[in-house]
Amino acid sequence: MPPRKRMFRPRVCRFCTEKEMVIDYKDAKTLRNLVTERGKIIPRRIYGTCARHQRQVTEAVKRARHLALIPYSGQIQS
Amino acid sequence: MRRYETTYILRPNLGEEQFSEIIDRTNGIIGNDGGTIIHLERWGTRKLAYEINKETSGHYVYCDYAAPGTTVQELERIFRIDDRILRYLTVKLEESIDQETIAREVERVAAAAVARSTASVREDEEETEVESGDDEDLEEDASDKE
Repeated sequence: MPPRKRMFRPRVCRFCTEKEMVIDYKDAKTLRNLVTERGKIIPRRIYGTCARHQRQVTEAVKRARHLALIPYSGQIQS
Repeated sequence: MRRYETTYILRPNLGEEQFSEIIDRTNGIIGNDGGTIIHLERWGTRKLAYEINKETSGHYVYCDYAAPGTTVQELERIFRIDDRILRYLTVKLEESIDQETIAREVERVAAAAVARSTASVREDEEETEVESGDDEDLEEDASDKE
């Protein structure tokens, strides 16, 4: 069986290209896009962010969870 | 002086007087050590994403201020003792900030608040115009059916 070729998508970080998307832990609406339905942080290889912004996203999500703006787990009810 | 922002959550069913008392006491602690408040915002009572101390909603207060480092310790000590405060989070925004920048930020925040209030008034006027347009469309549809 031939080895499976990996598809390389050009990695474009949304926060690097669109300067207006600021990662803020107080902004529950944008944070909801960065988190799955069950409340888990979307991995970098799926969402396509660069390492620096992914670290900022993680920090922001964890702070928002501490302030009960988004849940730790479970569906996000709007 | 460093620039911090603190968000804290109060129990929702305390009533307006107690909210004001807690907020004034917090502002007093900041002012005592020579700090300045740049921006104070009350997000109001919101539903919490999960239960905290058996409460399902909380009153959020956001404060952006410049103060020396010891103020934050004192503030968090008070928050920890008080039962009416459910959660708090302090984030350091800038390492050092001088008086001029503080004054500039205060003005900028005040100007943004004024701009937002006038913009909302203008939006309300536009909405009423749009609604009158919809009524005209409905009348046309009714006449077509007949």
